[in-house]
Amino acid sequence: MDPMTPGPSQLAPAKRPKWMHITMGVSLIVVAVALTVGWHILGAEGEIPKANTLRWVVYFLGTVLFLLLIGGLSLMVVLLVREVRLNERQSNFVSAVTHELKTPVASLKLYIDTLRMRELSDEKRRDFYGTMSQDLDRLNATINNVLNAAMYTDKRVAEPHPLDLARVVHRALELTRTRHQLLAESFAYEGPETLRVMGDAAALETAVLNLVDNAVKYSREHEVRVEVELSRNQDGQAHLRVRDHGIGMSRAHLRLIFNRFYRIGSEVRRSRTGTGLGLFIVRAVVKAHKGTVSADSPGPDRGSVFTITLPGVLPDAPNEADEASAREVLA
Amino acid sequence: MGARVLLVEDEINLAKGIEFNLGLEGYQVQMVDDGLRALEILTAPPAHDLVVLDVMLPGMDGFSLARRMREAGNYTPLLMLTAKSLPEDMVQGLTVGADDYLPKPFDLPVLLARVKGLLRRRDWTRGGDDPRTVKIGDTDVDFASFEVRARGETFRLTVLEATLLKLLVQNQGRVVAKGEILEKVWNLSPDTETRAVDNFIVRLRRYIEVNPRFPRHLETVRGAGYRLTL
Repeated sequence: MDPMTPGPSQLAPAKRPKWMHITMGVSLIVVAVALTVGWHILGAEGEIPKANTLRWVVYFLGTVLFLLLIGGLSLMVVLLVREVRLNERQSNFVSAVTHELKTPVASLKLYIDTLRMRELSDEKRRDFYGTMSQDLDRLNATINNVLNAAMYTDKRVAEPHPLDLARVVHRALELTRTRHQLLAESFAYEGPETLRVMGDAAALETAVLNLVDNAVKYSREHEVRVEVELSRNQDGQAHLRVRDHGIGMSRAHLRLIFNRFYRIGSEVRRSRTGTGLGLFIVRAVVKAHKGTVSADSPGPDRGSVFTITLPGVLPDAPNEADEASAREVLA
Repeated sequence: MGARVLLVEDEINLAKGIEFNLGLEGYQVQMVDDGLRALEILTAPPAHDLVVLDVMLPGMDGFSLARRMREAGNYTPLLMLTAKSLPEDMVQGLTVGADDYLPKPFDLPVLLARVKGLLRRRDWTRGGDDPRTVKIGDTDVDFASFEVRARGETFRLTVLEATLLKLLVQNQGRVVAKGEILEKVWNLSPDTETRAVDNFIVRLRRYIEVNPRFPRHLETVRGAGYRLTL
């Protein structure tokens, strides 16, 4: 994996060029001035005869400029609303990351203080070490998410290699099971034992892990049931489907959940851990592999399904010609 | 029997660690991990000696919970414990009804000292050698019940409000500097930059002044502090 470290600018969303806003603002002012001048010309009673061509030209130009003005203002409103929403999402992201970083740190500090201050039995110590390990995993996951969001944004797969997607899926399932201390029965896998594709194994593992982890996080407590299906279609594409039976979501959220920083609900009333980067990373990784990702849900409380499609499935037996052709697809 | 503490915290590891330590100090701890369940408990007749409350909670946030419990007449000492550590978050917490505010991550000895301090402050405000009741103009203040009776109405003071008022009563006629108030009431350094004292003075004036905009009993002495005259 590329060990680059992201700077703050890489975490910030791509900024719309300022000149666009300025040009639009200046144009609207010019249009408004032109309309005012035209209005005065038409208002000069007696100066221009009613049937004069100039009058009709001014009427025509006035109508066009008026429509431009309305159109421009509408566009400005749309851009403004977008900026406000982005600001809200960024503010929520800061709150979420603050919470996600500070909570495990606070917990670790509390247990270290406790271990220092108290006389504890060996059993209690072991119990505390287990809790501290969970906190470290959570901290590590948050840091990775923030770094990955910067790393995979607008990038191609630098050095694609043949990899076994089925193995990537199994690893993600095992990691999630351990992280959330779940029984093996909470997960069902259906698909081949091997499905070779060309890509970046670490990036794809991050994406699949995020999807499976989300499926668990948004399941109801003590009712975790995640079904994962992997298949290959006739067009040489790999399909990965992750289905949960959790809290689901409305249509309005489906459109937005892959946006950077997007989290359902207010941060101050947070009910799930996370930073709003997980699905954004999934989309960025899949896009870098020239694939697609989509979400579906029958509605709130009725679970969700996430589907990833990746091109460049390779034959089971290694073959250099096929690998070269798959590399070209990703180039 | 130890003091009863209600711990409202949804982060299970943190909650278990705090419960373990408070338990070792002799407190009886009840844990709640959801804002709405906490609301039910906090708006019912008070059953705890202290509440430790997180801000970011599922169901209802800690700021709203603090406000709702005070509106419901629950004046149990309240320690807010949260990852939100900006000065404005702190002021918001204190303004909506918290008696103390501890940002995460915190030192365990500091948490234990704050818990003990809040309970001691409540006891100090209630008891001591000072008279239990005091009359400020036409207003009667009862430090045992934390009640203020004025203009035919009865108000309930929070621990912080009562502690601040008691400090001013003890120093009646003398100017009490803002730094001294911060140190003695909030356990903060005297040079801490905060509007919390000003906000609480405004609140006390609403109880004890006929016209809070033109205070006669609780005056601001510009550049020096505040003075209470009975």
